[in-house]
Amino acid sequence: MAQQDSLWYKDAIIYQVHVRAFYDSGGDGNGDFRGLAQKLDYLQDLGISALWLMPFFPSPLRDDGYDISDYRSVNPTYGNLDDFKMFLEAAHRRGIRVIIEMVLNHTSDQHPWFQESRSSRDNPRRDWYVWSDTDTKYRGTRIIFLDTELSNWGWDPVSKQYYWHRFFSHQPDLNYDNPQVREEMWSVMKFWLEMGVDAFRLDAVPYLVEREGTNCENIPETHAVMKELRARLDAEFSGRMLLAEANQWPADLRAYFADGDEFHMAFHFPLMPRMFMALKLEDRKPVTEILKQTPAIPDVCQWCLFLRNHDELTLEMVTDMERDYMYDEYAKDKAMRLNLGIRRRLAPLLDNDRRRIELMNGMLMSFPGTPIIYYGDEIGMGDNVNLGDRNGVRTPMQWDGGWNGGFSTADPEALYSPLMLNPVYGYQAINVQSQKRFDHSLLSWMKRLIRIRKASAVFGRGSIEFLYPANHRVLAYVRKLGNETILIVNNLSSAAQAVELDLSTYRGNILIEMFGRNIFPRIGGLPYLLTLGPYQFYWFRLRRV
Amino acid sequence: MPEESILSDDFIRELMNVGEVDILVAVPSYNDGQTIGKVVQALRAGLLTYFPRARSVIINADGGSRDGTQDLVRAASISDLSVSGDVHALRTLHSISTQYEGGPASGIALHTIVAAADLLQAKACAVVSPESTTIEPEWLDRLLRPVFEGKDVVLPVYRRHKFDGLLIRNLVYPITRALYASKIREPYPVDFAFSGSTATQFLAQSVWAQEEGRRGTELWLTLWAVVSRLKLVQAFLGTKARLENPRSDLVNAMRETAGILFCSMDCYSSFWRSPQETLEAPCLGCQPAVSLEPLRLNRKRLHQMFVFGISELEPVFLSILSSATHNELKRLAALPEETFDYPAELWARTVYEFSAAYHKAVIGRDHIVQALVPLFRGRAYTFLTETREASAEDVENNIESLCRTFEGEKPYLVEIWDERK
Repeated sequence: MAQQDSLWYKDAIIYQVHVRAFYDSGGDGNGDFRGLAQKLDYLQDLGISALWLMPFFPSPLRDDGYDISDYRSVNPTYGNLDDFKMFLEAAHRRGIRVIIEMVLNHTSDQHPWFQESRSSRDNPRRDWYVWSDTDTKYRGTRIIFLDTELSNWGWDPVSKQYYWHRFFSHQPDLNYDNPQVREEMWSVMKFWLEMGVDAFRLDAVPYLVEREGTNCENIPETHAVMKELRARLDAEFSGRMLLAEANQWPADLRAYFADGDEFHMAFHFPLMPRMFMALKLEDRKPVTEILKQTPAIPDVCQWCLFLRNHDELTLEMVTDMERDYMYDEYAKDKAMRLNLGIRRRLAPLLDNDRRRIELMNGMLMSFPGTPIIYYGDEIGMGDNVNLGDRNGVRTPMQWDGGWNGGFSTADPEALYSPLMLNPVYGYQAINVQSQKRFDHSLLSWMKRLIRIRKASAVFGRGSIEFLYPANHRVLAYVRKLGNETILIVNNLSSAAQAVELDLSTYRGNILIEMFGRNIFPRIGGLPYLLTLGPYQFYWFRLRRV
Repeated sequence: MPEESILSDDFIRELMNVGEVDILVAVPSYNDGQTIGKVVQALRAGLLTYFPRARSVIINADGGSRDGTQDLVRAASISDLSVSGDVHALRTLHSISTQYEGGPASGIALHTIVAAADLLQAKACAVVSPESTTIEPEWLDRLLRPVFEGKDVVLPVYRRHKFDGLLIRNLVYPITRALYASKIREPYPVDFAFSGSTATQFLAQSVWAQEEGRRGTELWLTLWAVVSRLKLVQAFLGTKARLENPRSDLVNAMRETAGILFCSMDCYSSFWRSPQETLEAPCLGCQPAVSLEPLRLNRKRLHQMFVFGISELEPVFLSILSSATHNELKRLAALPEETFDYPAELWARTVYEFSAAYHKAVIGRDHIVQALVPLFRGRAYTFLTETREASAEDVENNIESLCRTFEGEKPYLVEIWDERK
């Protein structure tokens, strides 16, 4: 794909999808690359400009593919390398870039590297993983999967030593103090870059290197590893991008951008739960507070913003009081809770309230950063908390109201996951085909939202200035880039609100509402009075006429 | 609508920004700059500690302060613009201040508060005095929690010095108890709470256009709540700060208490004249309510003013009192201070005769209320003498005995109420 603009990721609309969940072309009950390729027209029509694929590598699938057993191949369930290449070219032809997962921190315990490493203490690959005679090293390190793991050390009965794992015990951590490991992982990345992949979403990056006396997160040695990879990327594959998955506070995240020479993008994890919190509290404070705490980043860098993804709605980056509130408001049923989070999709989290779904997407698309849409959320798919782990938010894409929701021709019993069947979120009620038919469906509305967002570079590249009107239920901000100024006003409340905005800086401008292109009164010397319906939001382009 | 005339446009604009709330905490004020800062900080801490999820607002209804009182209140806001480093709050906490028209008057402040509560559809409202310097954040929990549990009005019980609150103990409490069958220790509260629906109902009363809507309105609210048989509860708040220099003199205090009581007796005569079941107002967390630290009071002056009053106001007393009562008071005035004693029975009859005179308006009603002042001083002298060496229990027994006397003399009140003179 032509690399005309090396900052393409700043303007992108990313769509996150699991190959297995999107479309099954082979009729075996699992989505595959050929199926995904067949649905590229849908994605192009939706307006997205990049696809983020969850792990599709060979894997025992004990962590939905984040337990990789071969980095240079495709899980046969999804196809083969030729299928992937065909898909990649098809995506590029449509102007869609492809971001793939790269799990650097750990492998599956079924990966040949680990099998060799554990085979004996003398094996040449022994030092590719982190071994110890005791399980007492790195005691200051937290356990991430609290619901399943008791320790970050696993006992290997074969070589009779403990191995280090930050996630599940079947996911041993690679040893990045070993230059061979660093070289091998670059070699893996290069393999995919040469094929044409546009970017990597690097999983679990804060945990690459361990040091005694630290919490083994975000330590300088980890940053050094990443900078080395970035330098090699820039040298050989200009215009490609690295996206960090680091569930950390903004101040800790800032280090991953370094001087613009480490990561291009990083997820803004603390913002997401606060958007939900602000909506439920009907108070903008959680959002403005966290964005005020968010440090400036180099011009070439970008935040990645999301409402929901394949994981639980993480509540690691909130206070205890805020977590309790979120649980009580969004996960009353304890089955909805997992680890320190809530395993639900967007629509059910928002009570399937179209107004709230629109408002949240409107904020997502207008905050400074690159938005990610999780597959199915554009049509309001539901979740199934009765499925284990996070599988309830990874059910098959619902294409139509027919056999298996149009996902697969296999017997329903053969599907990788049960379909959503209930009358509210089931595929007969929520599907792409039915929503395509109506201009006012959520899908049609999302297309319009994406189109408007893409029409202005302000959203991806502009500055943000909050207005702080006295009415705390209204979140208002101005996005600016060059001569272009856009005013965004969001009503977080379930009731109509009046708000007075201090727009004196923009006196003389008229407001043009961007969805209907209607003209609003000129800004004068008095505070600008707006009234907003429940959960209503406006995007105004400011124009001096 | 009443609130249209009481709330300024600026205040309404601020209320618009606050929006619907769960809790409204109000602090009426007038030149309370020295104490209000501490009180508001405690209120803020109370809201954040005990009601962190509630939509709350602190409202200051000010009578025209010129000492920065309002700025101290506004500084307690927590928003995305003004955040204290030591405070973590889920929500915005608005802390707003408004100056009402008509000069300092607690009734106008209360009117402003209940009108705001009604507009904001507050579920629970607490009113706290800016002079309550002994306030702890826990007070808010004690005042507001019962409202969220279904009570309509929450009244305070304090630990007071045995010589403190003489007017409450010797006049307001005994009358309230005798006439309205309610054992409410602080019928004229400065720290209290009520439900949103109570605020709305009280706002609709006609009291606001009258004098009792300007001063003593808190007492009127209690009496109205008792007569309306609302669900009342009392909450023990702890020690009540003793004011070294009370703002109100005794004449004004008498207007706010006896004046309101006499007025209410007119208004609610059919209620108190019929037999009443005792209104239960349980006290939550109550502890011994009398403290005994040494305190010097000038009893001699009280006696002198009683004697002076009996002599000076004789024509007035002739209009108000029965000859028997008047003669007895004159006899008391002639006694040397060492043997002076204004007994409970005579005090009860005196008060009842004053109330009947007020009812019949035998002379100007304000004159009647003012004329009670020297007599109250005499009664206060006796109370101080009786309780000078008393234990807390003795003081309680003294008050209880006085209440029983007022209850026992109630038929006398009924008898004279309808007499021509």
